[in-house]
Amino acid sequence: MKKKLTVLAAVFFAVTLACWFHSPSEFSQSERRQLVQFPEFTAETVLSGQFASEFESYSLDQFPLRDPFRSLKAVTEYGLLQKKDNNDLYVKDGYVAQILYPLSEQSVIHATDRFRAVYEKYLSDSEGRIFVSVIPDKGYYMAADGGWPALDYDRLFELVASEMDYAKYVDLTGALETADYYKTDSHWRQEALTHATAVLGDAMGIAGDLKKPEEMDVVTATENFRGVYYGQAALPLPGEPLRYVIWDSLEDCTAYNFETGETTGVYQMEKLEGKDPYDIFLGGACALITVDNPSAQAAGIDRELILFRDSFGSSMAPLLLPAYSRITLVDLRYLKSDFLDQFIDFHGQDVLFLYGAAMLNESYTLK
Amino acid sequence: MIFSSVPFLYYFFPVVILLSLAVSRRQQDGRRTAGRLTNSILLLASLFFYGYGEPKYLLLMVFSILSAWALGLLVPKSRLAFLVSVVISLGLLGWFKYADFFVESFAAVTGIPAEPLGIALPIGISFYTFQILSYTIDLRRGKIAPQRNLIRFAMYVSLFPQLIAGPIVVYKNVEPQLDPHARIITAESLYGGARRFLMGLGKKVLLANQLGQLTEIFGGLDAADRSVAFYWIYALAFSLQIYFDFSGYSDMAIGLGRMLGFTFPENFNYPYISRSITEFWRRWHMTLGGWFREYVYIPLGGNQVSFGRWVCNLFVVWALTGLWHGAAWTFVVWGLFHGLLLLLEKRWLGGILAKVPTFAAHAYTLLLVGISMVIFNADSLQEAGEYLLSMFGLGSVSAGSTLTWYYLRSYGLLLMAAIFGATPLPKKIVGCIEERAGKTDFGKKVLEWAEPAALACLLLVVTAYLVDGSFNPFLYFRF
Repeated sequence: MKKKLTVLAAVFFAVTLACWFHSPSEFSQSERRQLVQFPEFTAETVLSGQFASEFESYSLDQFPLRDPFRSLKAVTEYGLLQKKDNNDLYVKDGYVAQILYPLSEQSVIHATDRFRAVYEKYLSDSEGRIFVSVIPDKGYYMAADGGWPALDYDRLFELVASEMDYAKYVDLTGALETADYYKTDSHWRQEALTHATAVLGDAMGIAGDLKKPEEMDVVTATENFRGVYYGQAALPLPGEPLRYVIWDSLEDCTAYNFETGETTGVYQMEKLEGKDPYDIFLGGACALITVDNPSAQAAGIDRELILFRDSFGSSMAPLLLPAYSRITLVDLRYLKSDFLDQFIDFHGQDVLFLYGAAMLNESYTLK
Repeated sequence: MIFSSVPFLYYFFPVVILLSLAVSRRQQDGRRTAGRLTNSILLLASLFFYGYGEPKYLLLMVFSILSAWALGLLVPKSRLAFLVSVVISLGLLGWFKYADFFVESFAAVTGIPAEPLGIALPIGISFYTFQILSYTIDLRRGKIAPQRNLIRFAMYVSLFPQLIAGPIVVYKNVEPQLDPHARIITAESLYGGARRFLMGLGKKVLLANQLGQLTEIFGGLDAADRSVAFYWIYALAFSLQIYFDFSGYSDMAIGLGRMLGFTFPENFNYPYISRSITEFWRRWHMTLGGWFREYVYIPLGGNQVSFGRWVCNLFVVWALTGLWHGAAWTFVVWGLFHGLLLLLEKRWLGGILAKVPTFAAHAYTLLLVGISMVIFNADSLQEAGEYLLSMFGLGSVSAGSTLTWYYLRSYGLLLMAAIFGATPLPKKIVGCIEERAGKTDFGKKVLEWAEPAALACLLLVVTAYLVDGSFNPFLYFRF
């Protein structure tokens, strides 16, 4: 009996000691978030129960070998219990997708209401052409095969098209497939957007000005990209390449960030070391960016585009750039539409509303 | 603080067990002061355990303890002290648990608008109040002598392993163990207790919490996404969830008690293998059933009265049993439903059930228990009615749906494991393996390592679930 007790006690006290003496971390790279630090210990926090509540969070966030423990749970869920998803994420052929279900029509209507407000205030009197497109999430291509719940996409597309009858709807579903997305991230891969760009180009009448695949070079920024789902899935998944496309004149283009006041290139390689390497595309989430294309201006192209977008738009904008002298990227999650005219002169530019299905299904952050 | 949490497992409990062991060793060396120290440590640990999350309610529990202890000294000779003690205990329980229920019911019945008082329910109040009541009543009955040692009495009421979710320990059964010299911590009690605790922790975290996710998913679906099949899956999942949640907690309490030298009563005995509702209640939450039998049913006259009075007694007991579980009409109806089934079985159905094939008796019991659990978990009687109608195809839902089959496939293995785990089969299989392996020296050596290794793996997997998950409610916390 003593031997049995010794074995069990050794494991238990080893974990206990690790909890007590493990040095806390500030940030979880895999989960891309700040970790909870030791809570403030005062009479007030103790008596209110706040200390207990925060200590619980602290003990979980700072648990020694937190990532391997999370992996153990994920492997148990998928392997032992044969669960079809873990934390609402599922894996098929190495691709991780999130269960998006059910369709929140209310949320979609909220989004289209916000877009309509933009249209009525700034676009209805302008001569500009207006387009809208919904980027399907990976579930559109993956869910049916494994029986995973997925959005009612037909209804989603129909709703967006009908609520935005002032815009021409561009269907991207046929131009994409699972392989066009990162395996461990929600986003599409820029280097795989040839078809999607062509479909947009055709619909927007700019196909002739866009770069052809053979005119572009694909550069690998890192071979070891781990996207947002990597940390959430907590599975031992391999890293994957993060690539971007370039051509000569793209290097002359400049992006001005209204929040930071900085002018940079289209790709910001220093973001590779940041929380989200996908931020190399125009620096990631930002309320307002203008990208100027001097070579288009020199070639006499005075066409401009205003791109209302979420994070998918960051990697699509450079591909549309050859057809425009300026692209203005607006993220209505961070900039209230009422204030747009303080920054943008609406004078008949092309307008594209380009949003991912996931964002539309949870759109209450749109202002 | 709850047992299935990192603060309890890796911060609170290691300190308590090491201190208890250290003092216990001094006690075994013959130092008498160590005995008092053991109880003081356990009392302080229990008060810390209770006050950790809700410090304000610690005062309430301390008041309950002090008043019950002081009045208890007078109870054997004073009817007034007895009445005051009972009124204080029931009054506090009534105020904190039932005040809003009565206000809302009054408003609903009379139509007179009344605002709920918004009183929060102190954790574990139902459990420790019943322990205090049993002490006070037994004192008055002359079955026990007053406990003059305040620390021992306070420890009886507040001992952390069974403080917030039972088992309900009756004073006369635990009294000898309150003497620290009567409690001996050995390697056997430590290992046996740890094994029981880990099994309970596994039941709670790996089964109950996961089944709870399925019931949460079902609860969050739009009506259009539900189906008759999904309603039945929900009923099955919740029935298993509440069993593993509560019996897991009881296992943990019993295991912790054993590690600290206590022997707590069993609370569950494979209730889902019952062949009648009567048998079910001999196997489900046994300490609560025993408490109501001894302190309510028998004093009312039990079955030694006229038929009409007996029926009345039965329904009073079961309405109170329902109310004990929660201040809502769903719980009352749940209790009365069980009372009605017990009445029917005692008068008519019992004989029939004894004659029908075993599988039919099991099916009868599981069906009715499943139905009762749907009532139990409903937010309102209206919701309970809707759920039950839908289960029998009388709602406006389809027979099945893609979503139903997805979740059935996703949770199928878990459901099967839970069904298997709710029977005595795993215990029998382990017993059989131990018996066979124990016949050879090699087998004995393998067992010596295999069992603690398996338990250590269980601890690590449970820890992994705790570290990753946030879904960790204890259903019986609300009682």
